[in-house]
Amino acid sequence: MRAIARWVRADLRARRGQAALTVLAVAGIVAALITAATLLEDGTNPWRGLFTRGNGAHVWIHTVDPPDPAALRRLDGVADVAGPYRSAPATLVQPGKKTPITLREMPAALPRVGRPVVAEGRWLDPRDPEGVVVERSFAKATGLRPGSAFTVTGLDGATHNLVVVGLAESGDQGFYPEWKPGLAWTLRETLHTVEPKSGRTESVTGLRLADPELTDLIVQRTVTTLGGQVQRISTWREVRASMELDNRLLGVLLALFGTVGLIAAALAIANAVGGRVLVQLRDIATLKSLGFTRGQVTLALLIEHGALGLAGVVLGVAAGWAITVYAMQDLVVVPLSLGPLAAIASGTALTVLVAVGLPAWRGGRTPPIPAAPAAPPRGRLSRLARLALLVRLPPALVLGARDAFTRRLPAALTTFGLAVPMMMISIGLGCWATLDDFREHPERVGQAGRLTVRAGSVPAADVEKIALADPGVKAAYPGAEVDTLVPGQTRTVRARALGTSADPYPFHVVEGRMFRERGEAVAGQGLLDLMDVEIGDRVRVTIGGTPLILLIVGRVIEPEQDGEVLSFGIDSLNAKDAVPVPFYSLVLHDDADPAEVRARLQAAGLEVSQPVNPADRLAIIRVIIVALTVVLALIGLANLLTANALGLRDHAVDLAVLKAMGLTPRQVTATLVTATGLLVTLGVLIGTAVGASLSAWLIDLQGAASGVGSGIGRTPSLTTLAIAALTAIGAALLVALIPARRAARFHIPHAVR
Amino acid sequence: MTSATAPVVRTVNLVKIYQNGGVPVPAVRGVDLTVEEGEFVAIMGPSGSGKSTLIHMLGGLDTRTGGEIWLDGMRVDTLSESAWAVLRRKKIGFVFQFFNLVANMTVADNVELPALLAGASAREARRRREELLDALGLTGRADAAPAQLSGGEQQRVALARALANQPRLLLADEPTGNLDSRNTNDVLRLLGQVHAKGQTIVLVTHDARVACMADRVINLLDGQIVDDADITPRRSRSRGTAWDVIELHG
Repeated sequence: MRAIARWVRADLRARRGQAALTVLAVAGIVAALITAATLLEDGTNPWRGLFTRGNGAHVWIHTVDPPDPAALRRLDGVADVAGPYRSAPATLVQPGKKTPITLREMPAALPRVGRPVVAEGRWLDPRDPEGVVVERSFAKATGLRPGSAFTVTGLDGATHNLVVVGLAESGDQGFYPEWKPGLAWTLRETLHTVEPKSGRTESVTGLRLADPELTDLIVQRTVTTLGGQVQRISTWREVRASMELDNRLLGVLLALFGTVGLIAAALAIANAVGGRVLVQLRDIATLKSLGFTRGQVTLALLIEHGALGLAGVVLGVAAGWAITVYAMQDLVVVPLSLGPLAAIASGTALTVLVAVGLPAWRGGRTPPIPAAPAAPPRGRLSRLARLALLVRLPPALVLGARDAFTRRLPAALTTFGLAVPMMMISIGLGCWATLDDFREHPERVGQAGRLTVRAGSVPAADVEKIALADPGVKAAYPGAEVDTLVPGQTRTVRARALGTSADPYPFHVVEGRMFRERGEAVAGQGLLDLMDVEIGDRVRVTIGGTPLILLIVGRVIEPEQDGEVLSFGIDSLNAKDAVPVPFYSLVLHDDADPAEVRARLQAAGLEVSQPVNPADRLAIIRVIIVALTVVLALIGLANLLTANALGLRDHAVDLAVLKAMGLTPRQVTATLVTATGLLVTLGVLIGTAVGASLSAWLIDLQGAASGVGSGIGRTPSLTTLAIAALTAIGAALLVALIPARRAARFHIPHAVR
Repeated sequence: MTSATAPVVRTVNLVKIYQNGGVPVPAVRGVDLTVEEGEFVAIMGPSGSGKSTLIHMLGGLDTRTGGEIWLDGMRVDTLSESAWAVLRRKKIGFVFQFFNLVANMTVADNVELPALLAGASAREARRRREELLDALGLTGRADAAPAQLSGGEQQRVALARALANQPRLLLADEPTGNLDSRNTNDVLRLLGQVHAKGQTIVLVTHDARVACMADRVINLLDGQIVDDADITPRRSRSRGTAWDVIELHG
């Protein structure tokens, strides 16, 4: 063991740079994976972060009268109690609209459990009794900001002028509008002013549990304890479920990047170790002649390279943690939980060991005769080289072309090792292009309507007329969105009536056809998957209590609700749900600026909203693409250095001969660069071509898996691909040039043979 | 048989046939060789006569195609690769033409490696290394990298490494083949000294001057022994003979 340690230490000392690069490449991949997983976990599950930060309550009990908190606290499994707080329904009055809200009492000193987390502005202050703090998602939907007027009418019809002093987030109830009504916190006195009658208020109490898994049991106990007092109970599971939306595409994309990044890293490590073993064959043979056994050599290689990889994993975990905690404070609320972290760390460590294992095993099988260094096969001129000779190319090119392929396996490994990162980069570019396409052609992702207008302060009957009067508006489609119960499902899906059967809204139909008659509908992939139906099937849904049978005639790209949306003409809907038309979706002229149109329509008294482009929700992907490209470039670099070291080793003898034959140092350099450059070019071109052809298909696959549906994938433009490939080749040649120049000037000692 | 009476090396009808693209190429064709304890045997022969192959087989670096190899009264040709490796640690020292020092390790590390491999403590390995380098006149170069040494110095370090575990058998494959005459003399003088202390040596060379140092010269041709002659009766040789021979030729 001591002998192994001595050798490993000496070898590491001799190649610090390469060792550092290995550590960095692995660390980069691990950090990227952790960052991606954190974003994913946090993004798909904002509840977790909010709940942790606010020390939230797992169960909220709505009762008529305030329960005895001490009795609740005594319940087995209850760790702490929040409230009870009084809560009153009220109506928020804004110009042109009235929105039902819940006002909830909260002390000026934030409680220990279930405290809202202030995101903007400040918390309630007894010196400012008019102040309210509004839940953030509700504030966003209603356009409220700190300082905005907050006019409410109580059930008695009296109007109170309050002011928003802050916006806060809470993990104790879901986001608006999935979770209605909107929530605002006020001081006890303010609540009393708005709703003086205690009979119209309810009492809300939160329970923080010692073990969240026992929620159901404790809910039962609570109901028993409180008797008929309980009106409604909400648990953390419902809250979490309501927040988990719309992020499956992001998740699947990140998983794809992570997995392939890991494969690329494994390849790079295997290549680096394999190359190192080839360079060291002589030393390994010497060690064996001294009495190292096959197992000891394998073990030494495993320890040396495995330790580098594991150091990379540790560094990567630390870096990933630091990135998510410090650099991405705004994006990430809570660092990755232990499970995924351990999975990433152990998964990478395992990958590293497997990647190291094979070359180490091969190294162990080195024959112990050091006097016979493994000479490169004295290859004949390859067909390519002979062709080059025929057309009288410069000798350096011919020799380089010959050198490139003398060792087939390393040549293949180098090519492959560069092709894989390049393929990934091309796929990344494809994702980028897809996002750009989302933004530039929203109609292709089902967002032909750039604006949605509702009757604000104008009569509902006039909305269409006003909207169409605007010069920027091309068409207005009447629409209604209702939640509908689907047979066999415990939850609702969205039914969207938009346009009429005769004049349907321009959905992006990718399969089947658009609906043309009453009773026909199109659906997103998510809905087809959920209900396990195909185009041509009939579905029976219940809308507003009325059963409705719809024939699915096509599949559309559906970025909302994970694709679980059923769309049909508004004429298929019952009149009670469709009249007056709840909203109009406006398709604008190509040259019209949505912001300007929006401003004009708002001035005309309409309530205007703009749908969120999926590209905005996926914006984080761009950060990941850039970061991953950097890591992939590192991996490519590691592969390249391995190839260079091997090339120099294989051709050291030839170099002396070439010089003896009269090649100038510049020609020798050119030979070496050509040898590496050919492999690099081959690898980059293969990688780019494969990546470009795969990217659209892969993204479509992702789209289908995430419910949006296939048909969204785009291939990066030829110019982008050409620039990427040329950059990669150019950089690789530059990297190859430095050692080649040095080698060309270097005196090759005789003993190297 | 016990090690006291058995020869250090004995081969019986040793055969090695390489396969070159499906064509069998015999390198060693039925060699019977016995080396007694304390003997210094030089194996000579033209290029391709199989002398390197023979010595590699004696050290277990190469496998035999047929025949037997006995080392210290123990049959070893049937050993596995790992068993050979373990055997080499204790009983066999190798010196090669191109020195074959581990390039990344210092001179000290190179010499200590076999001792550590054989299970000596770090302190013990260090003590032996200091002793050996001292004896070979390399004390000052302990921390140097092999590349910083001259060829003669490198070969002396290689010799120190080969002797680190006081092997029963020292195998040398053209140890002076890559040295100038002055360094050749240095190395030969050292070999003479260790032989004088009773070290059994088998040396491969095509240099007659080097072979002159040995007690016995064996000539190989086409993988067969064609001549086996004692140069001087071993028992009657005085301690200074080897040195005198060098002086004569040098």
